[in-house]
Amino acid sequence: MAGDSSLDLLSVPADAGHRLSRTAIEDALAYFDPDAVCLPGEFDPELYGGVRTVATVPVIAPRAGTDHVGHHGRAREGEVVDTAAVDPTTMTHELVSVRESSILAETDTVLPNGEDAGEDLPTVLVVPDLAVEHDPTTLTARLPHLDALAEIQNALSGPLTVLAGSQPANYHHPWDTGSGGPVTVHGMGGGADGSRLTLLSCTPSGAVAGESVDADSFGLRAIHGVGAKTEASLHRQGITTRSGLAETPVATLADLPGVGRDSAERMHAHAEVIETGDPLRLTNESLPALRNGRPPICLDIETDGLSPTVVWQFGVYDPETDEYTAFIEDETPSDPGRNVRQFCDHLFASHAERTILTWNGDGFDYPVIERFVRQHAPKYVEAWQDLWKHDLYSWGVRDGNALLPGRTNKLDDVSRALGYGGGETGLTGAQTAAAYQRFMRAPDDPAAEPDWTRHERYCEDDCRALWHVWQAIEDAERRDPSDSATDSGGQQTGLTDF
Amino acid sequence: MTQDSTIDIERLIETFPREGVSLDSDSITYRPLPAREADTLPSGEVLRPTLAERYPFEPFRHQADALDALDRDENVTVATSTSSGKTDIYALQIARNLLDSGVLAPDGSRTGDAGATALCIYPTKALAGDQRESLADRYDEMGLDVRVARYDGDTPQSERREIRERADVILTNPMGVSTYLHDHDRWSRFYTGLDLVVLDESHTHTGVQGMHVAWILRRLRRVVSHWGGDPQYVLTSATIGNPEEHSEELLDEPVTVVDEDGSPRGPRDLLLWNPPPSGSGEERGTFAADDPPSAPGVDGGISSRVPASVDAPRLWNHLTYHGVGSLLFCPSRKLTEIAVRRAAEHRSEHPGYYRATNGPFPSLEAYNAGMGRITRQKRESSFKDGSLAGLATTSALELGIDIGDLDGVVLLGYPGQRQQFWQRIGRAGRGGSRSVGVLVADHRTLDQYVVDNPEYLLDTDVEDAVVDTDNDAVFAQHLLCAADEIALDRADIGRFASEERLRAGVEMWRRAGRLTGYLDAVVHYAGARRPQTEVSIYGTGGDEYELRLADDVDEAAVGDFDAENVARNRAFRDYHEGAVRLFDGQQFEVTAIHDDRPQPVVELEPVDREYYTRTLSDVNVVDAESERSREVNGFTLHFGTGTVLVHHHSYDQVYVESNEPKERMLPTARPPIRMETQLCWVEVSEEIERGLLEKYREYGTETGVDAERAGTPQIGYVAGLHAAEHAMIKTAPLELLVDQGDLGGLSTLVLDSHYASPEHDELGATAERSLDAVEAVIADRAESSTGTASGWFIYDGVEGGIGFARAIYEEFETLAAHARDQLRNCECGRPDGCPACTYSENCGNDNAPLLRESAIDVFEHLIGDRTRADLDLADADESERRPALFYA
Repeated sequence: MAGDSSLDLLSVPADAGHRLSRTAIEDALAYFDPDAVCLPGEFDPELYGGVRTVATVPVIAPRAGTDHVGHHGRAREGEVVDTAAVDPTTMTHELVSVRESSILAETDTVLPNGEDAGEDLPTVLVVPDLAVEHDPTTLTARLPHLDALAEIQNALSGPLTVLAGSQPANYHHPWDTGSGGPVTVHGMGGGADGSRLTLLSCTPSGAVAGESVDADSFGLRAIHGVGAKTEASLHRQGITTRSGLAETPVATLADLPGVGRDSAERMHAHAEVIETGDPLRLTNESLPALRNGRPPICLDIETDGLSPTVVWQFGVYDPETDEYTAFIEDETPSDPGRNVRQFCDHLFASHAERTILTWNGDGFDYPVIERFVRQHAPKYVEAWQDLWKHDLYSWGVRDGNALLPGRTNKLDDVSRALGYGGGETGLTGAQTAAAYQRFMRAPDDPAAEPDWTRHERYCEDDCRALWHVWQAIEDAERRDPSDSATDSGGQQTGLTDF
Repeated sequence: MTQDSTIDIERLIETFPREGVSLDSDSITYRPLPAREADTLPSGEVLRPTLAERYPFEPFRHQADALDALDRDENVTVATSTSSGKTDIYALQIARNLLDSGVLAPDGSRTGDAGATALCIYPTKALAGDQRESLADRYDEMGLDVRVARYDGDTPQSERREIRERADVILTNPMGVSTYLHDHDRWSRFYTGLDLVVLDESHTHTGVQGMHVAWILRRLRRVVSHWGGDPQYVLTSATIGNPEEHSEELLDEPVTVVDEDGSPRGPRDLLLWNPPPSGSGEERGTFAADDPPSAPGVDGGISSRVPASVDAPRLWNHLTYHGVGSLLFCPSRKLTEIAVRRAAEHRSEHPGYYRATNGPFPSLEAYNAGMGRITRQKRESSFKDGSLAGLATTSALELGIDIGDLDGVVLLGYPGQRQQFWQRIGRAGRGGSRSVGVLVADHRTLDQYVVDNPEYLLDTDVEDAVVDTDNDAVFAQHLLCAADEIALDRADIGRFASEERLRAGVEMWRRAGRLTGYLDAVVHYAGARRPQTEVSIYGTGGDEYELRLADDVDEAAVGDFDAENVARNRAFRDYHEGAVRLFDGQQFEVTAIHDDRPQPVVELEPVDREYYTRTLSDVNVVDAESERSREVNGFTLHFGTGTVLVHHHSYDQVYVESNEPKERMLPTARPPIRMETQLCWVEVSEEIERGLLEKYREYGTETGVDAERAGTPQIGYVAGLHAAEHAMIKTAPLELLVDQGDLGGLSTLVLDSHYASPEHDELGATAERSLDAVEAVIADRAESSTGTASGWFIYDGVEGGIGFARAIYEEFETLAAHARDQLRNCECGRPDGCPACTYSENCGNDNAPLLRESAIDVFEHLIGDRTRADLDLADADESERRPALFYA
């Protein structure tokens, strides 16, 4: 996106490309708003042409044509153009793409012509076929062409970010080299992960933040029940956008081949939900019961990974008093008990009669908390089990009681789509865990210490977002059912009436 | 269950409708085994009063020994015969634990939920189900309120939570254990109280499967320890050569072995029965028509006997007619069904001998894993209650599924291992009654060796069970699982695995992006999906095919058709279009196959054909790429990767009555199966090769081939390579902990043609239609190349390779020396060798051509015990055309 200092590159792997219709591409570009698009897969003229007709930003396909290397630069306003056309004094990034990894050995060809203009400009290097090779029979893993990459990195005065086209989007690893510092490699979403589009925000310091969204979350396929065949049928009817779908009467939809009445209802409802940002209740189920009718305590936790050895942050938000309390283990991560006990003391002292609410607590937070309570605060086990606990994600998404806007079911996507405008976007769970893991490794090293205030803010943000989603669903409950824009006539309270 | 409980073996043999058959015949070896008295102790000496007064038997010596060892806090491996009461050992130990922890009051009633729990792991779900019944019955009998439950893929979701939270004893299988470890939070109550882990039929955990089980047990130990459990282990095993070593490798804990069997055994009459020569007025069948597939066009060597698949059902019929309830163990599912048919034919062919005097003939049925659970269960209970007199079965009944008492076991062919022989024979004669065990030899090489040398079978030790945890590829899989279950940290060093291995494994996965963190702090799993789902306990992947009736079949007319899914390799071999198979005695033909659906399907129609079908297969190695190589005395050793192709390419139609072929080599239209794996191979030095080609030029039929092929001048030499390849695979277990069945080999005169090369397309990829094309290309390359080498490959029989080939590469000289010793010292005196030295049961060419002497020469030169000077290198014709000969 223009204006900030990151080079935003949208990576569209080949597999993802196959599932994108033209409107889906438009949708994706609008959503991600990248500075440039990169197609790291085997050259696919249909995808290439499709993106180019829709995109207003450059489309880089390193494996197309015969050029071995492509040189681009990002100007301060966010424009990405051929290096030759950029004024060096306003360049923020160098963007180099090679056709294949064997070219890396030709350092002179790869490196930007001449030197960078004396500034320590960050360089982003796209290598479409770069993949980590691992051999379990010898317990080794190697990065091909690591030496060549090290040489390239040493020749540059600014940081180097290597984007590997054949690695999953969340892949991130600093590879030790014999000389100089490690070469950091980030994935672009190829390989087994191939159906996801990823926006890679390359910061001036060389770090990369990635946001991945499945190709099926764009265009018509983002709608429940619309797969490749139905999408094609809809296109043949001239329905290519979600708003178009929402405006089409349900009866017309139901006439399409392969589309029954129920699917038509659901499709239509979902399109509406996404377009309007209003959730829709699908069933007559009310939201989970609240103890004493009081608003739920919104809870979120941070751990050091998916098999936690420590719950290092408990975030507790009480909408009744608008108070947020955090319990953070910022001293001795090897003693997880202290934080658990402090959390329990507070929780049971203040909120024993309340209902606890989480997003995906059933899948993660609750079993984790129970395990830690058993091990470190066993006196509280029974009390914990007696607490009323709900999981809004279970209720809404897994049990199918509501249709929620948002491209994915992640809390921040859903809450943002519902209009929650909280603090800046947080880090991903994996990034947060990684930051804490670095701290765990060297708890006395100030360089390894996370920015506790920032993390506390993110966690608070999540709790408030959860409350926002709850309220939005509550409001949806009170909406007059006859407001739904279907032409079926008569009353309905939910789709299950049909 | 039989009416007549005294077996008179002499009379039985003499009433058999065949001339000149008696216990003294040349074709029969008779070995009576004496009875064994029970060695028991009064239960009061072994058990506490509460249990002693409830337990209905007097414990056997080995049961007492085991319980004593458990009392001393030791782990125990009980390696005694089948039905020696091994289950009761752990049933009693569980009862002791429950009483000690206060869950059970002395009067047998319950006082609570929390306390000693036990996990029992069985190799199959069926066995778990069976044992659940036995345990529950035993506790009922003893008046103890113990909650016993199965927990596996068949357990309904709605019941699982209650079982986890309330059961005392949970029965499952290894894959279940592995899968459920992911959600171990839900098992906290069970694991915290875990006092006993039982591994039943532990001798079955060998080879690749054994490796996975060993790691699963280590992961289990880790998780249980996390929750505070500290269980003892009981392993129950069949008799094997090395129970202590095997158990300790599986558990990574010390064990006490209890193997002095105190259970009684009735006297046993053992017979090794060699069918008569064919053409002796009885049969004109040429070779065992329905054997597992062998290479095309290769006759089974000197095959002049009636096949076991024809004679064994006769014997089985005879025994059951005379009141000896018997199992007939068959090597394949198809044979179980054919056997039932043949037994009936035998009856009708000899009406004078077999009269239906008191009602109908004794009922005989087939039993195998392809039949579906309901059918199997019906037959188990019918056999148990006596309404069935005989079951023709595969190895499905080798393990302890309860089918009641039986008096006889007939083996259709030698099962390939002594351990299996004794396991199967041991099924007969429970309690003190007399029993019969008969091995009906096939015309095949291993069987003939056994009947010629009965002491090999009857007087020497059983094999060792082998399992090896050094294999890094399997370790790496389980490392991911362990990290997912509980984050890895320093506490795992030296406990879960050695430091070097942990660090290497963690670093590899970190670089590959599937683990994050550091061992000094904590390491987490970071991948996308559950790593437990990537573990395949048999080391084989691939799709399964569903067997179902074609749409236009009248299902009512067919009746019960519940057949289980089959793995792809079996589907290609047994269920190609045109295959004729028996289900429940009814013939079906495969009419259609749908490979491309999400669930591949084979469609069948009932038919009535006069023939059955038999599949023929090819094996080859292509696109071999060398990654490492070294020279040894002029030979070059290589290690690398390649593609192994198996092709079930055609089938014969064979008349049921006569076993004569009706039509041969009909296409199956099945593509070859490709397996990318690791291999090692050796290139024989050029000079040695020239010398040996010359030396063995005149050899022909000695190698076991027929006169037609014996004329090829290179046959003698290639037979040596073939024998060398076999010998190395057979002796590999002396040095490496590996099962022969996990290795494969291919010896070849045209080594280069099996290589990958930039000038040629990848052969593996083009072998889409058949291996013929591949073989033709290899022959072609051989033709146009100059000076191609000869040698042999040994490959890992597991997709992706698993370290065996690499280990063989590294230990090549040592293994070659062992192989040479085996070949040289064998007393068989036969030029082509014997089962002990050169024959392999997995040979794709039915063990021909083979030549011992030539193989010994090759090895001696490789090791350096002989030099070029020993060879006469003059006059060897260098430009001689070299045919593309290769043998598996």
